[in-house]
Amino acid sequence: MSKMSFLTLVRVEWKKIRRSRILLILGVAAVMLWIPSILNAHLNFEMQAEGISPEHNFFIQGFMGMAWFMFPASMVTGTVLLAQTERGGHGILRMLALPVNTGALCMAKYLVLLILAAIQMVMMTGMYYLSAAIASQMQDYAFLLPPEFVIKTVGALYLSAFPMIAGFWMLAVCIRTPIFSVGIGLASIVPSVLMINTKAWFAYPMDYPFYVITAKYGELAYGLSEMKMELIPWIPVAAAFTAACLGTACACFGRNERR
Amino acid sequence: MNISGEYKKIKRTGILPGVFAGGILAASIPILELAVRSEQYTGLVQSPLQTILEADWQMMAMLNMLLVITASCMLYHTEYADHAIQRITTLPIREEAVFIGKFLLMTGLSIAALVMEMLSLIFCTLHWFGGEGGAYETCYGEISAGAYLEFIKDLAADFAYCLGMLIPVILLSLLIASAWKNMWIALGIDVVCVFMATIIPERYFALSIFPFALPFRILEGVSADRAVDYLIAAAAEAMIIGAAEMIFMKVRRALA
Repeated sequence: MSKMSFLTLVRVEWKKIRRSRILLILGVAAVMLWIPSILNAHLNFEMQAEGISPEHNFFIQGFMGMAWFMFPASMVTGTVLLAQTERGGHGILRMLALPVNTGALCMAKYLVLLILAAIQMVMMTGMYYLSAAIASQMQDYAFLLPPEFVIKTVGALYLSAFPMIAGFWMLAVCIRTPIFSVGIGLASIVPSVLMINTKAWFAYPMDYPFYVITAKYGELAYGLSEMKMELIPWIPVAAAFTAACLGTACACFGRNERR
Repeated sequence: MNISGEYKKIKRTGILPGVFAGGILAASIPILELAVRSEQYTGLVQSPLQTILEADWQMMAMLNMLLVITASCMLYHTEYADHAIQRITTLPIREEAVFIGKFLLMTGLSIAALVMEMLSLIFCTLHWFGGEGGAYETCYGEISAGAYLEFIKDLAADFAYCLGMLIPVILLSLLIASAWKNMWIALGIDVVCVFMATIIPERYFALSIFPFALPFRILEGVSADRAVDYLIAAAAEAMIIGAAEMIFMKVRRALA
């Protein structure tokens, strides 16, 4: 019997969570996020004094709300989901009995998390366009932004979340007691408000998405923020963190069950 | 009530050390903040408790809430994970009693976390504001046993208020946890609720009494009428959520 290909593994992992209703929760969050933005659309005009246009403010404020708490927290929820589906009914034992490399299995699950994150981004972007269209109707002002700007910003937000997601995944794999993996994951989100304002922001991967969007805000509203996206030392640190987390996760994966 | 039974159940779940760690983490926030930039605050002429709470309570409340929702999910996860809840239903115990036991336990754990945070407030006040001519002296008079008593009275009021604001969250997160067998659904709903609370604008009273938004309220620097309004809202919500849980369990049993 030949080894399962990596793509098959990802497909299998994805099938396992299809009926988990996680997408419903992500969808509800995406809808909820934009309702206050639509209702408060008129406030965007007051920000013009800062140099940011109302349509940019509308976009950034919405995504800021998501990048600071909702997005990291839903990724923590996703890790719980992936870890629990295997532990219930000793599913992991059966997976380990298959001719599958445990490292590949671990990476396949990480990839599923990335897919979940991508779906959340797509949902957010879709809801953004819908709510921007509604706000445009209500305020008689064009809130819609050109797609290439939106896709670029959302893409940067998404890519910047990879290290954070790897960190959460490592917590879920290596810490067997759910309360600690979830608790540490959720608690690690809170200090990101403080960390983005320090010079050492790149040392704290949980704040990358929030930092990216806040830096974009500073770029659009001249003089409001002096954050810069310096790729050195950010990218090396991020890559090292991601590699370390994934390496630890793959090493820990299924260790207790294999004994 | 069977609170001791519920307490025994959490022995190996890590909830107890989790609450301890969460409490210490939240308690360290004002200490760290004041250690880094105390000069921003020490000049202010207002009650030192108000200064500290206005600066740091948002984050501390957030941590408290995350602690409560994680622990609540775990409290019911232990029941659902290996179908223990089915065994309970065959025992001469009512599921409602289990819920009340868990609620009392969770309240006790929250009190433990809040006490740690209040101890940190005492330390911060005396260390950074207690000096000669500091805000503590202007507010409570010269350092004496009587002044200290006044201070503790204020602190106790803050503590009670924060606990009162947390009760609806405890009840609601336990209700959510008891409604879903899968922990991630409960956790996901809680997370969405916390997120909603963070984006609710403070101007609208009707929206700001959303249970998950209540813990962000503080007693300091708010008119007494407003504070009482929030207390009434919290009490009403606690009763409504409690009643909803009782009805929910009856209905689920009837339909099962």
